[in-house]
Parts: sequence; structure tokens; C-alpha cells
Amino acid sequence: MRNASETLELERALTGARWLTAARVIALLALAAVLVVFPQTTKVGYLLSTGVVILNYAVTATGWNFMGGFTGYISLGHAAYFGLGAYGTGILVVKAGISPFLALALAALIVAVIAVPIGIAALRVRGASFVIVTIAFVLILLLMFQSMGSITGGSGGLSLPRPFPDLIRTDHHRTFYYIYLGLLAVMLLAWWAIDRSRFGMGLKAVREDEDKARSLGVPTTGAKLVAFILSAFFTGLGGGLYALWFGDLDPVFQFSIMMGAYMVLMALLGGVRSLFGPLLGALVVGMAIEFFKAQYGDTQFHLVATGLLLAVVVLFMPEGVIPAVKGLFARFGPQASSIREISAADLAAERDAEEASKP
Amino acid sequence: MTVTLEVANLSKSFGGVHAVVDASVSFQPGKVNAIIGPNGSGKTTFFNCVTGMIRADAGTVTLAGHDVTRASPDRIARLGLGRSFQVCRIFPRMTVLENLLVAVKNPSLTGALGSAKNPTAIAAARVWLRRVGIDHLEHAEARNLSYGQQKLLELAGVLMGDPEIIMLDEPAGGVNPALIGRISALIRELNAEGRTFVVVEHNMELVMSLSDHVVVFDRGRPIAEGDPAHVQADPRVLEAYLGV
Ligand SMILES: Nc1ncnc2c1ncn2[C@@H]1O[C@H](COP(=O)(O)OP(=O)(O)O)[C@@H](O)[C@H]1O
Ligand SMILES: [Mg+2]
Repeated sequence: MRNASETLELERALTGARWLTAARVIALLALAAVLVVFPQTTKVGYLLSTGVVILNYAVTATGWNFMGGFTGYISLGHAAYFGLGAYGTGILVVKAGISPFLALALAALIVAVIAVPIGIAALRVRGASFVIVTIAFVLILLLMFQSMGSITGGSGGLSLPRPFPDLIRTDHHRTFYYIYLGLLAVMLLAWWAIDRSRFGMGLKAVREDEDKARSLGVPTTGAKLVAFILSAFFTGLGGGLYALWFGDLDPVFQFSIMMGAYMVLMALLGGVRSLFGPLLGALVVGMAIEFFKAQYGDTQFHLVATGLLLAVVVLFMPEGVIPAVKGLFARFGPQASSIREISAADLAAERDAEEASKP
Repeated sequence: MTVTLEVANLSKSFGGVHAVVDASVSFQPGKVNAIIGPNGSGKTTFFNCVTGMIRADAGTVTLAGHDVTRASPDRIARLGLGRSFQVCRIFPRMTVLENLLVAVKNPSLTGALGSAKNPTAIAAARVWLRRVGIDHLEHAEARNLSYGQQKLLELAGVLMGDPEIIMLDEPAGGVNPALIGRISALIRELNAEGRTFVVVEHNMELVMSLSDHVVVFDRGRPIAEGDPAHVQADPRVLEAYLGV
């Protein structure tokens, strides 16, 4: 029996939802506008390159979220795919003479292929063991790339020619800014498509309770592997693009645990369940990192700041910023009744009906 | 259409604990089969081995003619065996409706990339939600449901996969008498529609009224089986289970 007051509540909840949707759309359009217009507002090379760096963070955090967000498997070693994408692109350009963007595409595909056996091995374990396997992989790659000097440039690094030799410095940054933005848009679209799909539903079931998902017939092994490969592929694309933009590769920076930790931090901060969570996290953390670096130099200070930020997030917004803000909206918006109240009302109605049917 | 489930010489130990010992059981297709036995007699472990959740040390499980002893739980589920858990398991952060949409049967590639919330799947989910009586909670987050409602949700989720054999681990555990009545009526209805049940249950009244065939476990072994009246009168059962 749905009575009048419940209908009213439902209506109010719906109005609230509509309000929230409108607020979200406006916020998104504003964010998109800022991201698109930003490079036109400045000629300062440093600002433009910082923009590229932050978009690079956004791409890697969003790439990470294809695995971490959907399945809840936390990889701390995603720098592995970034580094492989970067070096793959670099080696194909420098040693094989392939044109830059073809090299980028090939390198990302190679990363995806490498991710198959790695994924099969790593996904056999869950939780902390999975985290450790991912860290081990990136450390192994670091040692390998440092020692294979003749191909990778070793610790001395690998230098790539600029893909657009005619562009002046600021235009180089600006061009790459838009390429990164395009890649980010494609990734967000892919994440969105998966999020609403049956495949995505299976992945989210894994995040909630993997064994339960299996008992319901979700082919979790295959689904996790596909998510893992996609995640590696996109992260590899980000790495390759970085190689073309920055032009200098060093194993210590490309295969660093810190970079993997940043991806996790950014995604967690923004919220791994939200499409735009990692992007938002990357904007906040990326700006903070770059600010600290500019202000205090490349000291350990920004590491401490990052650590503090992570602690704050985990303690006060374990779901990330987006759900926290939504919660705030909900608190000030119209109140929906709790489920328990509805069921209590139902029970009362049932009882009444029983009572009435008695002679 | 009735799918068979046969278990032969199944054993499982945890360290020194012999949870299931050389258990051979063939369940009656199309019937309500019950497994009873004291706490710790290996019923849940037996369930977990049969459904592929844990790997048996020895023995074979045959489902619909397939040897599924080493098959993954998801394959076993897709072959038509659904199960619930002793401590009810649902997806707490999903809505009631989404909980069911996870379990849609037979995903093809295009199906996998299609919308999870397509009208066909939603319509099917609503049928089951209505049948177990929680359709009005469709949009609620599952973690906000009462325990009894969560049990019904788990059952609806299992049914969403359209299983021919349904294994329920203590379906009446921890729920109020009114709900026990509703659950047992549902089992009866679904059985009448041709679904085979294997039910682990402590509530003897329920077991005796509901089941066609009873298997008694004691210390990891099936020690007796037969129709409820027959089993109830078996001296070994009285000794092991009822402690007489
Ligand atoms: N994962 C496990 N690890 C160790 N021992 C277990 C595990 N699962 C069950 N057992 C043991 O196996 C025996 C059978 O348990 P169980 O199958 O849960 O029995 P029942 O469901 O009949 O109560 C018990 O002694 C229990 O302690
Ligand atoms: Mg048990």
C-alpha cells in the first residue's frame, strides 16, 4: 500500500535527484570549458607545460581506474605500463625509425600484449598479495631497463626527437595539451561505456564480493583480465605520449613506485566509483605537487605533503571527493526517508491487513 | 529438463580437520532434497566443494553429465546450479535491482557490451523481486535492507540466473517465523515448476514438511538417506543428530 505521504516523499526525492543532475551537468560543462580554454589564455611555457603534466596525471589516474575503480584490485605498480609505453614508443622511434604516432599506437598494443601474461599471473591473488605482485613487476622492469643500456639508454636515458620539429616551444606544449585532452576524452567515454554495460556490472560485482559474483555465473577471471589489459593499454598510451612530449626518458622516473602511488592517490581522492573522480583527483593532487615543486624545489617536501593529503582523504573522505560533495548536497537538499522506515511502514500495513482479516 | 547432480567419494580436509570424508550422494532430480546434520558435520564444506567455491581433495562432482570437479564456480553456475550462502551474501553497495542484474544469464559478447539496465533484464528482475516480495525496494541500496529482506534478495539473485538446481545453505537461518513461512512456500512453488532443491537446514519442522529426500551428515559423512519419516526413525540418525 503506497500512501499519499510516501508518494510525496518519492516526488521530493526525485526533485532532489533532478537538482543534483543539473548541478552535476553545470559543473562538468564548466570544468570542460576551463580545460579546453586554458591553453588559449597564456603564452607562458611553464604554465602550458604544467597543464600537460596535470593532464598526464589525469590520463594515468583514469587509466588506473579501469582496473582499480571497477574491480577494487589496487595496483601500486601501474608505472610499469607507463614506462613500457614510454620506452616502447621511444625505442620504436629512435632505434626502428618508425614515425612517432604510429610508434605510440604500436607501443600501446605491445603493452596490452605484455599485460596478458602479467595479468594472468597477478590476478591469481587478491588483496595485499596483488598489490605486492604489481610492485614487484615494476621493480623488475626498473632493473631490466637500467641494465639493458644498449637498447634503452640505461640509466643515462633515452632521447627522442620532437614529433613536430617546426613548432616553437609554447606551441609544442599547446599541441600536446590538446592531444592529451583528446586521449582523456576517449578514455572517459570508454570508462562510461563499460560502467553502464553488463561487463561493467560484472566487474563492479567483483569489487563488492568476488566469490558471490562467481557463484552467480559472472566469468570473473576473464572479466578481470580484460579490465587489466585495458587499464595497461591506456596507461601505456599515456606513457608513450609523455615520451613524445617530454623527449627524455630515464628508467628511475618512468618505472617509479611513486608514480604508481600518485595514480592511486588521485583516483582515491576523486573517488574511484565516479567517472570524473580520477580526473578531479589529478587536478587537485597534480596542482598541489607542481605547486610544492615550484615553491620548494624537488625536495622530499612534496612527498610529505602528498602523504598528509592521502591520510586526510582516507580518514575523512574514504569514498573520495565526489561522493563527499554529493553527500553534502544531499544533506542540504530535500530529505529522502530511509529504507528501514519504508519497510517499517510496510510491516505496519501488513499487520493492519492481518488484523482486519481476522473475524 | 531435470538436471542431475551426483557426488562421488568427495573428501576435503582443512589441515587436520576432516570436514568431508568420502561422501557419495546422488540427489533426486525434480525433488526437494535436504541435508541435515549437527553443526560442524561438513554440510557447508560439502556445498562449497560441489559449487566449486573450494577445491575438493578427492572425489568427483557430476552436473548434468559434465564432470565439474575442477570447474570454476562461475562455470558451474552457468551450467544451471545456483546457490545461496549460509551467511547471506549480497552486493551491499548496489541497489536491489542491480543485485539481480549482475546475475543475468547467458552473456554473449554484444550482450556483455550492451547496457546492464536494458528493459528485458529489468523486466525479468522485477518478476523475481515481485515473487519474493521485495519489488517495492527496487531502488534501495542492498546494505540498507533488513536481514530478512537481504535473504529474500539473495534468493531472487540466485533465481535471476534461472538455475535448474538450487542449493540453499540454511535458508531459514536467522529469519523470523513469518518469513520462514514465505520462504518455504516459495521453495514449494519453485519446485512445482520443476526446479530441484538441495537445502541445508536446522529447522527440523521445516525439513520434514518440505523435503522429499533427506541426507544425514555426521562428521563429514552421509550416514543415512531416505524419505523424511524413514530418516527420522533411523537409530543411527537419532544417535548422531538428535543425541538420543
Ligand atoms: N575454511 C575452513 N578452514 C578450516 N576449517 C574449516 C573451514 N571451513 C570449515 N572448517 C571446519 O570443517 C568442519 C565442517 O564445517 P562446516 O562445513 O561449516 O559444517 P556445517 O556446515 O555442517 O556446520 C568444522 O569442523 C569446521 O570447523
Ligand atoms: Mg554450515
